[in-house]
Amino acid sequence: MAMMATGTVSPKAHRRSIAAQDRLFGFLISAPGLAALLLIILFPIFFTIFTSFHDYTLIHPNFETYTGLEKYSEALGEGYFRTSIWTTIRFVIASVVIEFMIGFTVALMLNTVQRFKTIYYFILLMPLLINPVVVGLTWRMLLHSELGIVNYVIGLVGIPGVNWLGDPNIAFWTVVLVDIWHQVSFMAILLLAGLSALPREPYEAARMDGASAWRCLIHITLPLMRPVITVALLLRMIFAIKTFDIVFIMTKGGPGTATDLISYYIYRSAFFGLDIAKASAMSVLLLFAVLVLTVYLYRYMKSMT
Amino acid sequence: MAEIVLNKVSKIFPPDVVAVEDVDLNIRDGEFLVLLGPSGCGKSTTLRMIAGLEQISKGELFIGGEAMTNVDPADRDLAIVFQNYALYPHMSVSGNLGFGLKLRGFPRSEIEQRIAKTADILGIRELLNRKPRELSGGQQQRVALGRALVRDPVAFLLDEPLSNLDAKLRASMRTELVKLHNQLGRTIIHVTHDQVEALTMGERICIMRGGRVIQTGAPMEVYRNPADTFVAGFLASPPMNLVDAHLAEDGNGLAVAIDGVRLPVPEEFVEAYAGYRDREVVLGIRPEDLHSHGERPGAATLEVTVVTVETLGPEVILIGALPNGAEISARMGRDFRARMGTRERLAVDTRELHLFDAETTRAIPRPKTKVGDNGT
Repeated sequence: MAMMATGTVSPKAHRRSIAAQDRLFGFLISAPGLAALLLIILFPIFFTIFTSFHDYTLIHPNFETYTGLEKYSEALGEGYFRTSIWTTIRFVIASVVIEFMIGFTVALMLNTVQRFKTIYYFILLMPLLINPVVVGLTWRMLLHSELGIVNYVIGLVGIPGVNWLGDPNIAFWTVVLVDIWHQVSFMAILLLAGLSALPREPYEAARMDGASAWRCLIHITLPLMRPVITVALLLRMIFAIKTFDIVFIMTKGGPGTATDLISYYIYRSAFFGLDIAKASAMSVLLLFAVLVLTVYLYRYMKSMT
Repeated sequence: MAEIVLNKVSKIFPPDVVAVEDVDLNIRDGEFLVLLGPSGCGKSTTLRMIAGLEQISKGELFIGGEAMTNVDPADRDLAIVFQNYALYPHMSVSGNLGFGLKLRGFPRSEIEQRIAKTADILGIRELLNRKPRELSGGQQQRVALGRALVRDPVAFLLDEPLSNLDAKLRASMRTELVKLHNQLGRTIIHVTHDQVEALTMGERICIMRGGRVIQTGAPMEVYRNPADTFVAGFLASPPMNLVDAHLAEDGNGLAVAIDGVRLPVPEEFVEAYAGYRDREVVLGIRPEDLHSHGERPGAATLEVTVVTVETLGPEVILIGALPNGAEISARMGRDFRARMGTRERLAVDTRELHLFDAETTRAIPRPKTKVGDNGT
């Protein structure tokens, strides 16, 4: 009987049913993961978007008043928020550009190194392994204007102490430099991976063609590295735009608004200003900016394959 | 004049890996020389040392009479074509062709003129604006060749340029390269592991193994008089049959004995082989020097058990086992038929026998088989 039953099913239909079973099985084993994602990522996002359309504050935590886009225009109309957007843009550009320049130089140098490669890699990776909060705390101590070792050391060679975190003109660059110290190895490692994967032959062909090292860099390395460079820059921009921890630990956005990055300003609006709805509206705007970069990154990487 | 001379050239990779050892080569101006050998034999390293991409550890290199041992690759006026073409991926075909000229400061009008001329020679004119990734393997190959041609160097160095092409394209590119060589008259050094390429293209073949030159000579000279068992077993497909044997006394003369089977040594070789009397030797015989017994009545014979028969179309390869178990192959006419396991008598052209020293594997010197002498 069983044989007859299978005999009546066409092979094509049989394959289809196996494929359907595979799909069901795939769905079942990924279901718990999907549920967790839904709960911890999608739900907060949608809750934030929902909140941003209502007058929800910590004084009146309810969704009774629908405000539409009011909170968005309120946020964008706020001078402090606009300042924090501008500070964030300056921060992202400064840190990513300098990180790229240092990272690329280090990667180029390490790419030619033969001996002790592992040791260099280890040293390079160290900052990346440290928690950002620890990075912030450590640098806050090192850069303390009275007790910090940095001022002590530069004092030994006769340079007067610098108020690293207290001077509004210097604090911004201090935060940028600490971020660079922490993140530059990410850039270097990514670029190094790209460099070491480049084919050797175009360089040899260029040597036969009479190209100098500089010409090779301009005419071969940079064009060949373009995809890796683009991905590295975009990834770092996406990370940098969300920077919160080192500002929170080192400057609390100050002095004044010198280091008031968007994410820290959002935090202040929510938990000091108590206006959760406005903070949500700002978060949605930040999310949108990150999303634009991410979509661009995704499309770029897809076009490469 | 672009005579290229290598004088005891060696390459030692740190700490002490000897990749090339004491290579002496004299490549005549305008010659097509093929460096042939299995992978890892040092042929590519030798080529790269000539190009200047590898430093010469020991020895000297002269190009056109000038010492070039430590000269920068850009100043040797040589062009190399790489196995995987090594085109500049972000430049168009014309960009690839013109890059070297631009670096050397040629005026734009001359660059354009040269690109156009090269593109015409290679038939890639309609590809000039394309990027390498938009080209097929064969087209990329032409562009790589064009990049060498456009510079008009004193010699071309080709590093396995055909090995990434499919069989059909490879055959047609072989012909084209030879034509190009005749047209340009420039020195070409062609590295390959493909013995067919070597035999068909080279004016001379230099066979390398383990970093050393084993034999250099015209294709047929090397083919007819291999210097050792390696060369004998490397050239041609199927290669020369090599069988362990014993050189025994045979009346007034000598005979090659393979487990009781005796093949008389032709009179003209007896004197040359006399020193190996009663010693172990390796007998070498080309598959085409074994014939169906019916064709050569009266000739010395070997009896084999048919192992398999490979039908190739124009000919049939018979693979048979000798009484001692050694397998040999024989080229038979296209109508040859035999069943597996049956016995077959093969007539042997004894004047085409080669004997090698069993210990050194070197050929035992004897009057050379002249090229063009069909041995019958």
